[in-house]
Amino acid sequence: MAAAETRTTGRSPALARALLIGMALLFLGLFLVLPLLTVFVQGLAKGVSAYAAAILDPTAWASVKLTLLVAAIAVPFNLVFGVAAAWAIAKFEFRGKSTLITLIDLPFAVSPVIAGLVFILLFGSHGWFGEYLKMHHIRVVFAVPGIVLATIFVTFPFIARELIPVMQAQGKDDEETALSLGASGWQTFWRVTLPNIRWGLMYGVLLCNARAMGEFGAVSVVSGHIRGLTNTMPLHVEILYNEYNYAAAFAVASLLALLALLTLAGKSFLEWRQPELRHTARPGRDRTRREIT
Amino acid sequence: MSIALRGIGKRFGEFAAVKDIDLDVPTGALIALLGPSGCGKTTLLRIIAGLETPDEGHVLFDGRDATLWPIRDRKVGFVFQHYALFRHMSVFENVAFGLKVKPRRERPASKQIRSKVQSLLDLVQLGWAGDRYPAQLSGGQRQRVALARALAVDPDVLLLDEPFGALDSQVRHELRRWLRRLHDELHFTSIFVTHDQQEAIEVADTIVVLNRGRIEQFGVPSEVYDVPTSAFVHRFLGQVNELPVQLRGGRAYLGPIDISDSTGLGSVTDSAGGGEAHIALIRPHEIEVGAAASGWPAVVVAVRVIGPIVRLELCADGQPTNEPLEAEISRERYEGERFVVGQKVGLRFRRWQVYPTNGAAA
Repeated sequence: MAAAETRTTGRSPALARALLIGMALLFLGLFLVLPLLTVFVQGLAKGVSAYAAAILDPTAWASVKLTLLVAAIAVPFNLVFGVAAAWAIAKFEFRGKSTLITLIDLPFAVSPVIAGLVFILLFGSHGWFGEYLKMHHIRVVFAVPGIVLATIFVTFPFIARELIPVMQAQGKDDEETALSLGASGWQTFWRVTLPNIRWGLMYGVLLCNARAMGEFGAVSVVSGHIRGLTNTMPLHVEILYNEYNYAAAFAVASLLALLALLTLAGKSFLEWRQPELRHTARPGRDRTRREIT
Repeated sequence: MSIALRGIGKRFGEFAAVKDIDLDVPTGALIALLGPSGCGKTTLLRIIAGLETPDEGHVLFDGRDATLWPIRDRKVGFVFQHYALFRHMSVFENVAFGLKVKPRRERPASKQIRSKVQSLLDLVQLGWAGDRYPAQLSGGQRQRVALARALAVDPDVLLLDEPFGALDSQVRHELRRWLRRLHDELHFTSIFVTHDQQEAIEVADTIVVLNRGRIEQFGVPSEVYDVPTSAFVHRFLGQVNELPVQLRGGRAYLGPIDISDSTGLGSVTDSAGGGEAHIALIRPHEIEVGAAASGWPAVVVAVRVIGPIVRLELCADGQPTNEPLEAEISRERYEGERFVVGQKVGLRFRRWQVYPTNGAAA
């Protein structure tokens, strides 16, 4: 009787497990791996030389460089902002805290197209600051600054969102201890806070970077699609596609996908190298473990 | 360093965490702030540390107003209940932290730092653990690292917030004795927060009992335990039996029964003199259990041997049967007299205290 019971309870989880794993793999294959493979297959459809030609095309290269430039500006900007916002929210009590949290989420809530339009309204030739900018010969919309602004807007929440729960769970004890031991605020940040949040921060940066490179909607509105000047990679792909230049479109797309995959690989590498620290960076878990021991 | 608090008050929104606190902590004292959760003891400790700013009043360090000094200028060591060890640093690095963050001209040479950290680790009996990480240590070991780290900067005052609260009772007991010895060796001023009356009595020179943000009583442990000034303190420091009594003409009546004969009413406090309904509090070990005719008649309803003591549950005449009195006698006496369930005995109270009922509700 007891043996029969163990067998039934032993078998059904195994079955359920196989079923669930199978389903997950099937969906992954169908909706993620297959399309991704298609990108590479299509990109290489006309042979390696056509692929190389499409990528080495000057306008394509310009889009690659612009994409990297935009990410290189937007990510550090949001890194600083994200740490500051998460710090304020997690470590201090103040009026309007919940409003600030909601505001940080705003870019997630509004469509990227609206985000782009906002900058047109502000900095476009008929916008609020349009006259002023024209007088001083500063181009924001349909130029690189506009693309950077739109990207920053869209990728605003990633780092802050990743850090807030980490910092809230860690509380203030470590920082207060450091201060009581005579450390300055700056020393406390570099020696105590930053090491405590480094994995959350890394995560946030990777996600932020992936989105900054891949953003289409908001950037499309403010870019003006000037070939070789204001086209980022996603925009360039769209243009090539609309011109029925499928092989080139997919070639550039594959490059973009490769950048995204590199980001993911970087994340996995970090996790693989420091599994222990990844855990200790989440003090929620650490604390329960401490109480057990 | 001596610490004085003058009229300290702190509110969190509508909630007054502490009100009107006056306290003097002489140099070298070991003081316990004792009270139930939410009584303001941690807030008070954090105000002394400089982690909170009081809304009212002053904190004096050696007579100088330190109310607004930032924490890093106060020379206090602060130890948290959950240790707050820097988990990305080794034990050695943790203890060395306070020395390494000193401005360059004050910072000792790395060789000196190493020898100082090592001697501190030896002091807390963790000389072998320098290369370990906090996650590899047990709770008691982590708390000792936290203490060593706090001591590394030679604080004038050591502040401990429920330092042993997260440890199991065996380790807690060991660490208490160890803290007491350490204090006696090093002579710094220490204040620790606890909700455990046993801990306060065992470790501290002076106990400050806090309730609802105010100081209820202040004194040496035996005094606070034996002569509580309020029903709250009486209840909070150890077990009590509670008897609703009426005072008439200086005598205490439980219903129609005059129970004051058993003591001669030596300890009915003045404040309790006038009113009608009062409550008498008696500690279990202060109930004298004797022969049937020797006092208030009662029946033994349960006997529990708890190591060195034996707890008797007694149903006294005129008392509801579901609220038996608890008396504690020594194991030796029990071995001699062998009380059994159902036995008739007489009760006398060695020491008891009467409080007005409204005060008792506090």
